[in-house]
Amino acid sequence: MIEERKLNGVRLARPGRQKKPYWTVGKVIVYLFLLAGGVMMLLPLLWMITTSLSSSHYAMDFPPQFFPKQFDWENYVKIFTESGLGQSALNSVIITVPAIIGQVFASALAAYAFARLRAPGKSVLFIIVLATLMIPGEVTLIPTFILFKYLNWLNTFWPLIVPNFFGNAYNIFLMRQFFMSIPLELDEAAKLDGLGPFGIWVRIILPLGKPVLAAVAIFTFTANWGNFLTPLIYITNPHLYPLALSVYTMTETGDNAVLSVPWNLIMAGSMLLTLPMTLVFFFGQRALYEGSNVLGRVG
Amino acid sequence: MSIVPDVVPAKGRLRKSTRPKRLKMDRMRRREAMYFYLFVSPFFIGFLFLTIGPILGSLLLSFTRWNMFLPPQWVGLQNFSQVLSGNSLFWTALGNTGYYALISVPLGIILALFIAVLLNQNIVLRRWFRAAFYLPSTIPTVAVVLLWLWLLAPAGLFNEFIGLFGIKGPAWFVDPSWVKPGLILMGLWGAGGGTVLFLAGMQGIPPYLYEASALDGAGPIRQFFTVTIPMLSPIILFNVVNGLIGSFQVFTQVYILGTNNADLMMVPYLFQEAFDYFNMGYASAIAWCLFVIIIAITMVVLRWSAVYVYYEGEVRR
Repeated sequence: MIEERKLNGVRLARPGRQKKPYWTVGKVIVYLFLLAGGVMMLLPLLWMITTSLSSSHYAMDFPPQFFPKQFDWENYVKIFTESGLGQSALNSVIITVPAIIGQVFASALAAYAFARLRAPGKSVLFIIVLATLMIPGEVTLIPTFILFKYLNWLNTFWPLIVPNFFGNAYNIFLMRQFFMSIPLELDEAAKLDGLGPFGIWVRIILPLGKPVLAAVAIFTFTANWGNFLTPLIYITNPHLYPLALSVYTMTETGDNAVLSVPWNLIMAGSMLLTLPMTLVFFFGQRALYEGSNVLGRVG
Repeated sequence: MSIVPDVVPAKGRLRKSTRPKRLKMDRMRRREAMYFYLFVSPFFIGFLFLTIGPILGSLLLSFTRWNMFLPPQWVGLQNFSQVLSGNSLFWTALGNTGYYALISVPLGIILALFIAVLLNQNIVLRRWFRAAFYLPSTIPTVAVVLLWLWLLAPAGLFNEFIGLFGIKGPAWFVDPSWVKPGLILMGLWGAGGGTVLFLAGMQGIPPYLYEASALDGAGPIRQFFTVTIPMLSPIILFNVVNGLIGSFQVFTQVYILGTNNADLMMVPYLFQEAFDYFNMGYASAIAWCLFVIIIAITMVVLRWSAVYVYYEGEVRR
């Protein structure tokens, strides 16, 4: 992404324009908007951080104190010892890791088949894959719930993990586009060396498709880590709650509402929920860009 | 567009061979096909049990009354007539969802586009500005809602802030008439997610278009509307369709706010009927209505957009 920007920067500085001074009225306005907008985007986040660090007394202060008089790191201990978010975070990991593995490999396998192998009925099957993109998850929600209930999967992690092992249309499409850009000669050479389709998938396609595998892994992570509706339906045992659900239940203090809500702890919990996601996005930026770039070309 | 699969195999090349070779070829072909079916089988098993099966099951259920304890009862179209009857909450939910979608989607796109234009200028610290605008869209919905619940509290930071400018802030999520504007405001915070797509699109616009229009005397604003917008129109369309579908599927925000009917939307309504009252048949009827609405919106937007969206390399009639 960065190279592109720089390239563009060079491109924008056209010969005729170079004599113009950098600071024009327009530039100043652009910077003013950027600064104001940037601050407005970051302020809520900063508020989350400062609230998470203020003691319950200061959190309730009126008018609200933007910077707490003293930082209270205790909250980040309390969410583990008192609110039990440690177990929930562990649950979230137990759900998310297999989900990512299943999603990446199931989708990559199907994507490879659609990108490379020939078989009768392939185009019809691919149209079916694309058609499922149009189907909102809500239509399948109730019968799927009934199915999992009869499998005795309520209050287990299976309903949150297993569906990922079938892949999904969006990821298959994305990966297929990427795999098709891998030179066919590599397959041919591998074939001469005696590799079968599975060998080619493992030795050629997966290593060369790393950016798109990473992109799909990131998408799957974000979809599962922050998921709220599915665990809400399938999991009622608080010990099995994933993080998103546990942080939400911290608002249900039982008795007299608003005032007794421990906002400082909730914000600390929200930070715990947010941080992995933000980190993954920022460290995965490059892979996201390279991996999903193919879609941009499709329009 | 290149969505249509390019699966026409290179037959000619393979057919030239002599007979015994062809037999061998056929065996290889059959082996290849076998691998194909094997590799796509996980998806299609999932498709059978988790997509097409449940869709048909949901359709079937929508003609029954079922609370999951007693055996289901066939009631014909009764659920649908109940869902669509004048005093049903369905219309409240649809109205709220429509209000939310029609305001938040255009506003979000305009804001994202505006930010993208700013970021596409020759500015210093571009990476940092981009990160600042992008950051909110990476936060999980649950955390976003809890944060804004706290931020938009009647005596919260937001009202305190606009109070500095002499504006008396409303009670937001406590006041039924301000719940939806609150939701929209909260949604706009994530607009930076769309900015990234627009920025990528802007990088792809060939500079000669701007040079040519500058020679014709077009200023930056004119160029924005005659070059940038048409060239970005496929991405705008993508965001419109995704945004509309997404706002019809809003759940988490509304569920956490939990303010009765002021912000009742389609999916929370479905959830309430299915998992609070266990009206599985009735909820399935809602699900099907939602399905039809989403498909209809997608079709209308795509049809309508055919006039406005410009695809490079497309042959115009």
